[in-house]
Amino acid sequence: MSGAGADLAFLGARRLAALVRERTVSPVELTQLYLARIDRLDPRLHAYITVLPDAALATARRAEAAVMRGAALGPLHGVPYAVKDQFDTAGVRTTSGSRLMAEHVPAEDATTIARLDAAGGILLGKLNLTEFALGGTQHFPFGQPRNPWNLEHDPGGSSSGSGIAVAAALCGASLGEDTGGSVRSPASFCGVVGLRPTWSRVSRHGSFPLSWSMDTPGPLGRTVEDAAWLLQAIAGFDPKDPLSSREPVPDYARTLADGVRGLRIGIVRELTFGPETDAEVRDAVVEAARTLERLGAATEEISLRLVPLAGAIFMALADSDGAGVHFRWLRTRGAEYDQGTRRRLLTASLIPAAIQQRAARARALLRLEMREALTRHDLLLSPTAHQAAPPIAASRGVITSRHEVAGRFFTRRSYVTPAALAGLPAIAVPCGFTRAELPIGLQLIARHFDEATLLRAAYAYERESAWSKRRPPGMD
Amino acid sequence: MSDLTSEQVGALAAALGLPVTPDDLTEVTHRLNALIEVLSPLAELPLETVEPIPGLGDPPAS
Repeated sequence: MSGAGADLAFLGARRLAALVRERTVSPVELTQLYLARIDRLDPRLHAYITVLPDAALATARRAEAAVMRGAALGPLHGVPYAVKDQFDTAGVRTTSGSRLMAEHVPAEDATTIARLDAAGGILLGKLNLTEFALGGTQHFPFGQPRNPWNLEHDPGGSSSGSGIAVAAALCGASLGEDTGGSVRSPASFCGVVGLRPTWSRVSRHGSFPLSWSMDTPGPLGRTVEDAAWLLQAIAGFDPKDPLSSREPVPDYARTLADGVRGLRIGIVRELTFGPETDAEVRDAVVEAARTLERLGAATEEISLRLVPLAGAIFMALADSDGAGVHFRWLRTRGAEYDQGTRRRLLTASLIPAAIQQRAARARALLRLEMREALTRHDLLLSPTAHQAAPPIAASRGVITSRHEVAGRFFTRRSYVTPAALAGLPAIAVPCGFTRAELPIGLQLIARHFDEATLLRAAYAYERESAWSKRRPPGMD
Repeated sequence: MSDLTSEQVGALAAALGLPVTPDDLTEVTHRLNALIEVLSPLAELPLETVEPIPGLGDPPAS
C-alpha cells in the first residue's frame, strides 16, 4: 500500500466524510482501501471476526451514486466503519465473541447500526471482543486480538477489535460498548479516542446485554471530532429501548471548538497519584492537566474516597447481572464457554447476597460522591488506566491465589468503573507514550448528559497535543 | 468474615444446579474470597440507610 493510501486511511471519519462530500475521494475507493488493509494487516491483529467485502462494496457503490447525482448526504456518508460483534446485524452472524453464538444470525439491526447506516456509514465488518463483553477471556475463539503498537501486548477490552481497528486504520471509526470501561480501556491501550456516553443516552436495543444499568454503546475514533460525530448519529431516544433517554440531543459540533477557558477540573487524587498508578502514566496525565490549565481551565486535586473500591463494587454488581443473563447456559452449556468467562460467571452466580447488597449501597454512595464533586467542578480528570497495555501473557493462566485476583481484576477496573457505576459520560484521549512506545490515556468525566463539555475539553487538549497523530509502527 | 472453602462453594453451586469442574472450583473459590475480602471495608460504612438504587432518571446538566 502506498504512503498516500495509508495517509488517507488514518485521516479519521470526519475528514473522510468531508473528502467524500467534496468528491475528492469516492466511497468505493475508501472501502477498497480499508478492505485491502484488513486483508494485509488483520491476520496479525485479529481485530475482525467477520469482514463483509461484498456487502460493503455494494453499499459503497450506492453511496457513490448518491454523491454523483447530488443527493442529500448524511453526516457520515461514504465512511467505512466497523462494529463490535456484540451488536446485532440483520442477516450477518453476531457472535458476541463466543462459540455459543458462533452461528447466530439476527433478523434485525441494532438501533445503533441502523442509525450509523442512516448517517451514511458503510459497514465493513464485525469486530473481535472478549467473550460476551466480559474481561478475562483466556482463549479467543476467533483469534487473539493484538495491540497494533506491540503485538505481544493487550489491546484492552472488551471492545478489543474496536480499539485495534481504529488504531491500525482498518476502518474510519468504530462502535464499541462500555459497561465498565470496555470502550475507554481499548481506546487508552491502543492510542485512540473512546467515548462512553451518559447511560441511557444511546439505545441498547440489539446489543447483547451484560448489565442493564451500565451497558452503554459508545464510539471510538481517531479524533475527538470523530467521536462527536458518531455520538451525534447514534444518540437519542429509541422506543425499542424503554430506558433510553428522551433528553434532546444537542449539536455537539457546534460547541466543540469553544475551548476550556473558565472550566473547573478536579484531578482525582486516588487515581492519579495513588500507589497503583505507574509513574509514566501519572506524569503524562499531570502534564495533560497542565496543558488544560495553560488553555484556561482551573484545576485542583480532589479526593473520592470510594473510588479505589470501584472495581470490586462493579464486579459484584455487573457480573451478577451478567450471571443472571447467562444462568441457563451456565447450567446446560457451561463447557462451551471460555474457561475465564465461565469461572467469572460462576463466581458471580455465587456471590453472597449480603456482599451484593453492600456493593449496591456503596454504588449509591459513590454516585453521590461523584455528583457532589461535579457540583464544584465541570469535569473530573484521571488516567484511563493505571498502566499502559500490559503483555498479553500477564493475563493468562489459572488463578492460584486470591491475591492474584485483585491484581488481575479489581485494580485496573477502579479507573474506569466509577463513571460506569454513576452513569456518567467519560472520554479517553491519548496523552502520551511510555518509554516502551505504548500509548497512555487521559480520562475526563462530566455531568450526566453533558457530553458537550466533555468533548469540548477533549478537543481542546487534542488540538494542543500531537498524540493522536502518531501511528503504530509497521501499520502503514 | 471467614474464608469460604472449596467444599462450601461446591455445595452452593450444586444447590443452584451449576456444574463446576474441580479446576473451576479452586479458582472460583479464590475469586469469591478475594471479592469478599476486598469489599470488607464497606462493612464499616453506614450503608443501612442508603437506598441501593442505581440512580436512574438523573436530570441533565444545567
